[in-house]
Amino acid sequence: MKISFCKKDIDQLIKLSEEKNIFLEGNIVKVIETDSEIFKDYILKAKEKDDTARKKRLEITRQVQDQNKLLEKKAKEKENLMDDLKLALSDAEGAKEAAINDLDLIQKKSQFELMGQIIRVALWVIMSVGVLTSVLYIVALYTRGSGPDTTLIGNTWSNLLGILLTNSFSIVGTIMGVKYANDKKEE
Amino acid sequence: MIDSILLVDDENLFHLVFEDACSLLDITLNLQSMTSADRAADLFKVWQKKPKGKPDCVFVDLNIIGSSFNGIELTRKINYEYGNGVVIGIISSSADNEEMGKAINAGAQFWIVKSDDIEPRLEEFKKDYAGYSNRSNEFKVYK
Repeated sequence: MKISFCKKDIDQLIKLSEEKNIFLEGNIVKVIETDSEIFKDYILKAKEKDDTARKKRLEITRQVQDQNKLLEKKAKEKENLMDDLKLALSDAEGAKEAAINDLDLIQKKSQFELMGQIIRVALWVIMSVGVLTSVLYIVALYTRGSGPDTTLIGNTWSNLLGILLTNSFSIVGTIMGVKYANDKKEE
Repeated sequence: MIDSILLVDDENLFHLVFEDACSLLDITLNLQSMTSADRAADLFKVWQKKPKGKPDCVFVDLNIIGSSFNGIELTRKINYEYGNGVVIGIISSSADNEEMGKAINAGAQFWIVKSDDIEPRLEEFKKDYAGYSNRSNEFKVYK
């Protein structure tokens, strides 16, 4: 389907284009029919202007499309990065917890080792003193019989044994107490 | 020149690209654009009874976000439920063979790969259009 304009309209359109540089735009330009050479030139110019504007718009639209694609890509990358970070954070928290547990275990182990050493040394001291005083008392009994020195050594021996026994129970009791307190703290 | 074209695509920016390309290549003077497959199906339902305004050629995007069905389903509906002789094809950035097979089964006549440089493909399509219109062309991919 083609359309045509009357002479008056054609003159007005041409005048408008010459004075204000305003042309018809869009697909309507493609359906105008005319015999006037001047109006044919006008239509040609209008088409050229329209094509130029469309090419420019096409270029800009493409740039916007490209930018949108880039933004989408960046958003996806950011999302992936966030996922990786969350995963790394979770791993780090797990490692931290494991390290704390290991440290606790090491501390407890060294505490138990220390306690064991203390008990061992204490028992050795107690046993050595007990054996030493007992030997001294036996020697006194055999060499001096039941004299006043022997009685004094016998009293000392019994006192010493009593003290050593009390001390050894005290050590064991303290150690058990510390162990019980630690177990309670863990709970 | 094709009398009238309908573009169904959810991407508004592509509507502008397609409109400008159609105008610059003198493909059509009558271009309708819509973003919803549901709306397009409703219109074809109406055109089945009153064909005034029905397009001669339909370009359907493969994935139409926000619609109840995709481009292949819309093509199938237009061809087998409401259609009577429109030239119809898919326009998509994808060139997946499996999807193309589905499109052929749905009655699509062509597949245009959407990219930055769409004009050469549309120009080639314009040359082939007569063959699609009289159903003598086989399914073709423009890439």
